[in-house]
Amino acid sequence: MSEAAAISIRNVHKTFKGGVQALRGVSMTVDRGQIFGLLGPNGAGKSTLVKILMTVIRPTKIDGELLGNPIGHTETLRRVGYLPEHHHFPPYLTAEQLLHYFGGLEGMRRAERLRRIGELLELTGMAAWRRKKVGGFSKGMLQRVGLAQTLLHDPELILLDEPTDGVDPVGRREIRDLLLHLRSEGRTILVNSHILAELEPICQQVAILVKGKLAREGSVAELTADRQRWEIDCSGDEPDWAAQINGLCCTTEGALLRMTMPGDGLNDVQIVLDKARADGRSIHRVQCIGETLEELFLRALDESEEAGAASPGAASAGKDGK
Amino acid sequence: MTPFLAILRESLLSLRAQGLFKLTMGLNLMVVLAFASIGFTEDGLSIFFGLSNIESEYVNIDSPWSKLLYLGIFSAFIVNIWLAWIATGLALLSTSSIFPSFVSQGAVEMTLSRPVSRTYIFLAKYCGGLLFVLLQVSVFTLGAFLAAGWRVDVWDPAIFLAIPLVTLFYSYLFCVNVLVGVVTRSTLTALIVTLMFWFSAFSVRTADQFITRFVFYTEAETQNLDERIGELLQDMDEAQGIAIAGMEAQLDRKQEQLDASRKAHDTLLAWQGPLQITRWFVPETAGTINLLKRALEHDASATLEDLMSGRLFDDGPSHMNADAVADEKVAELENSRPVWWILTKSLLFEGFVLTLAIWVFRRKDF
Repeated sequence: MSEAAAISIRNVHKTFKGGVQALRGVSMTVDRGQIFGLLGPNGAGKSTLVKILMTVIRPTKIDGELLGNPIGHTETLRRVGYLPEHHHFPPYLTAEQLLHYFGGLEGMRRAERLRRIGELLELTGMAAWRRKKVGGFSKGMLQRVGLAQTLLHDPELILLDEPTDGVDPVGRREIRDLLLHLRSEGRTILVNSHILAELEPICQQVAILVKGKLAREGSVAELTADRQRWEIDCSGDEPDWAAQINGLCCTTEGALLRMTMPGDGLNDVQIVLDKARADGRSIHRVQCIGETLEELFLRALDESEEAGAASPGAASAGKDGK
Repeated sequence: MTPFLAILRESLLSLRAQGLFKLTMGLNLMVVLAFASIGFTEDGLSIFFGLSNIESEYVNIDSPWSKLLYLGIFSAFIVNIWLAWIATGLALLSTSSIFPSFVSQGAVEMTLSRPVSRTYIFLAKYCGGLLFVLLQVSVFTLGAFLAAGWRVDVWDPAIFLAIPLVTLFYSYLFCVNVLVGVVTRSTLTALIVTLMFWFSAFSVRTADQFITRFVFYTEAETQNLDERIGELLQDMDEAQGIAIAGMEAQLDRKQEQLDASRKAHDTLLAWQGPLQITRWFVPETAGTINLLKRALEHDASATLEDLMSGRLFDDGPSHMNADAVADEKVAELENSRPVWWILTKSLLFEGFVLTLAIWVFRRKDF
């Protein structure tokens, strides 16, 4: 029997008081053992969606499962780790006390907590600060402690809302490595971020939310495939035969001529190369270029604008969800 | 560790980090020390460990009233004024931020996303807030118990009733504070509304007692005037026309006073009904605290009021005017209110407010 998806939601709606529609019929599936990127501009509804999954916000309408159980099933939350955006820890607690507190909320026994806290503070590089109060921590250190509390109860599914927010480049790289390590252990990770360059190398699947609606969903390879192109840099001016080849576009890049062919077909590229060589042109570069996540994201945004999604978008629950 | 204990422990650490908690605890210890400094000598009583002496033939080391006075100081002054007003005010200042801080964005998500119901979290956090008062009163009461044992050899465990009673009293106010804190997420608003509520509860009780006192007063006054008029009529019969004009004038005056007194009585009764109904819906803040005094004086042959008013030392029958009668009757009425009436209606109020707060907390988006 195949294992249920880590997250499977259908037709999620959330309208805050005041009529702000944060989510308008979002459906998506996150398979197990993957790093899933939830992308979207500010106010797209990403945090609202994650908070709904974690029962922090009540959905207006939802149908779906989390780890095979209905959304909102309390016991399922024991198998989920969550790091919210802009989290605030009690400043009077030390890192160790904070983790004991969250471990206690999970019902963990003292011996288990002690073992896990030691392991995780080592893993996140915070062992030296275990007895320091978190009120004196930098943003990056707070994120590390936040990650430690997320992993404390050994969750199968991890939901991270902007996990690299405020973290320096070295820290970001460490967090990326940590996420890959967690995935290698078979955990499912949903990362909510708008820093696309961070997600691209680690995510297998992404969903793009725009103004409370799902604009794209799928594997990164699939989503960027239809915008693949070949680029051929060669010498000379724009040839006469360029107009005869469907989709070929010529531009001048300095002293070079750049010919761009849409799609990933090799046959058309061979024809162009043959003709260029026949003209006596020297070939400097031939490269198949895929669409970047950023380009995909911006395209989804543009298309959404064109589609006339007139909603003001989601606002934070703190402001509008009262 | 259960989630409940985790939340309580976090609350304890939060209190420990607060300057106001330490300040209140320090002040509590000073008050206990001042209480312990009161002692009795052969000539009277000494305060500040003998620095100052007050001579008294009635209250001294051999007097049976020294124990009454010492416990009376504890229940009527220290508990009633220090714990029920000053320490409670400081506790409100300290704990008003608990729920608004808890439900602020960034803090609440990591607690609500745990495998624990919101009602459970709310109640654990609520109990955590009551820890402030519970700890303060526990330390204070232990000190007072030891002081009473040392100074007047009274090892009365009833003193420890101060712990649940003061905590209960505080919980009537704290539930309002929590409800406003959850709804508005504002510490200042929660504090102001709670203080207003406290004042309202105090006002309703005071107004009821005030009106009741005047009802008793007018009743006593009416009875006195009736008797006086009867005496005057008898005097006039006996006088048989001699100096009767002066008596008639006096009779008219008394009759006018009697009419005014009856009219006032009727007016007061019209006010008393609505006030008594209102009081049913307001928790018995002072009434709950007063239960401690009632418990400590339960087996006593006299009360602190008897001692302070000097009635204990009167040999003859008491000749009380209408004021004294009214005061005594009000005190009797308040002391005769059943414990179940005081606690049940107060707890019903608290239960209603907490249910409302939990309902809001459960439905709220964070």
